[in-house]
Amino acid sequence: MPTVAETEGRAPAKSRNASLRTASESVFEKYFLMLASWPALLIMLAVTAIPFALTIGLSLTNYDLIKPDWKFIWWENFDRLIHDPQIPQIIFNTAYLVIGTTVLDTMFGLLLAVLMDSRIRGVGIIRSLFMLPIMTAPIVVALTWRAMFNNDSGWINYFLGLLHLPQPVWLGDPHLAMPAVLISDMWTGIPFQAILLLAGLLAVPSELKEAAAADGANRLQVFWHITLPSIRPVLFIAVVLRFIESFRKFEGIQILTTGGPGIASTPLNLHIYNTGLFYDQVGYAASMGVVLVLMIAGSVGLLYLVARRWS
Amino acid sequence: MTTIKRDRIRVEVLRFVLLGIGLLLVAIPFLWIILTAFKRPVDAASVPPQIFSPVTAMNFQALNGDGFLKSLVNSTVITVTTTIATLVFGVPAGYAFARGKFPGRRFLGAFLLFSRMMPPVIFIIPLFLFFHNLHLIGTFTGMTLAYLTGLLPFAVWMTASYFQDVPVELEEAARVDGASRVQAFVRIALPLAAPGVISVALLCAIAAWSEYFIPLILAGPDTTPASVGIVNFIGVDTINWGAMAAGALTLIVPVFIATVLAQRGLLRGLTAGALKG
Repeated sequence: MPTVAETEGRAPAKSRNASLRTASESVFEKYFLMLASWPALLIMLAVTAIPFALTIGLSLTNYDLIKPDWKFIWWENFDRLIHDPQIPQIIFNTAYLVIGTTVLDTMFGLLLAVLMDSRIRGVGIIRSLFMLPIMTAPIVVALTWRAMFNNDSGWINYFLGLLHLPQPVWLGDPHLAMPAVLISDMWTGIPFQAILLLAGLLAVPSELKEAAAADGANRLQVFWHITLPSIRPVLFIAVVLRFIESFRKFEGIQILTTGGPGIASTPLNLHIYNTGLFYDQVGYAASMGVVLVLMIAGSVGLLYLVARRWS
Repeated sequence: MTTIKRDRIRVEVLRFVLLGIGLLLVAIPFLWIILTAFKRPVDAASVPPQIFSPVTAMNFQALNGDGFLKSLVNSTVITVTTTIATLVFGVPAGYAFARGKFPGRRFLGAFLLFSRMMPPVIFIIPLFLFFHNLHLIGTFTGMTLAYLTGLLPFAVWMTASYFQDVPVELEEAARVDGASRVQAFVRIALPLAAPGVISVALLCAIAAWSEYFIPLILAGPDTTPASVGIVNFIGVDTINWGAMAAGALTLIVPVFIATVLAQRGLLRGLTAGALKG
């Protein structure tokens, strides 16, 4: 009898211990994911969300780096933006840059991806080699293309001369500065788009293509009716990523053309930097930043709508 | 039958001819860098350009004199501190993001997308003002914090995708055997996701090493990294092309080595923030 009492007396104690342990564990468990993620969340809040909110706030002030006092001037910066004679050119340059790089990079990138979509030996090495421009620091790309486009000692005009073609002043001509930016962008942008799109192409089931070919479709028809619809999601991602990348393109312009001649190749991103940190007009620059955010959000939203309509 | 075969051969020949032209276009700027880095200054600036000229190592000696070596050291310091900080905060957050619900998860998800879309210029001007007041301009601490604006969301997103590939059942089995949640993370999930985490680390290091915009604004004279210091070879009247090309080589060779190591994770890195959006 005492043994039974002993075990009976012990058993609840033991199970209470166990339930205490699980209770404390489940509390810790509940907080473990929070403890793991909140430090990162707090950092992002500090370096991303708060500065973003501050940019919106600054856009309503006349804050200037070299003047000590400032005040809220509300919409005046935006009023000034509308009447700023440089802004139409800046907006045009931004659209030229973003649409130009996205269209050229994606079109030629798709061609390159189709060329690399082969299982023949040696294609693997070729794919790796095309990855090198993507991994080259943008500052090195910008400096190298500045050398290539140089009037006197640049290779581009030298080769054009050998072919008895005209040798334009690439970086000094307002009509050629932006094309020069686009050409240098294509050097990294085409391989970038190609590598992304290739991942989509490799996922297209080959039976589908073979079946269409067996039904008498030629290569172009197979590509147009089978391959292209299958890679539509990847194509959309590639276009959006290129869009976002072009809006933030910086050294490829600041170093290659310095935004010139004049402001002929200055997009909004560079103009914000110049206004805020070179001419110290932080408040005015912040109002341009708000416009840039709206442009990006608007155009990505538009792309999304077009993609949904199309599918 | 033979016409189909001949057609196939013709297509493959065309494929390799076009790929060859593409590779040539990719190679030309690299060729310029390599050839120019080993040219004497006179030959590097000659008109018309000389494609081949006497080989010299004097450009690499010039790097030392212009303080470029110091900036390479700074680049290394920034790369190491930024990569460590990114992993310390990013890997646990990525794990949490991959593994279920917690307060703030949707917030985190929204942040990841938001910071992928917004250009750094939006954050950098307020950060410049903050850091100015906190005396963080020109410090490695300030720059590391600023680099996290882009790298931390990237690392969270990437590691989350790798942790999602680790079957939850394995962790659950370990928990049934008495392992705590932390033990399941450290002993099961982390080792299984390690190859992915390592490629994330390498991609973060590459991005930090190549970063230009943030240090252009936040670096001081003693903390300027090589990506910004290399611009000093552009003088008021002349450009020291030879030394610049030599500096460019020191910037790209370490990255190419890291690329070979990170190749498996590369594609995921390029699409980060877009897939499973």
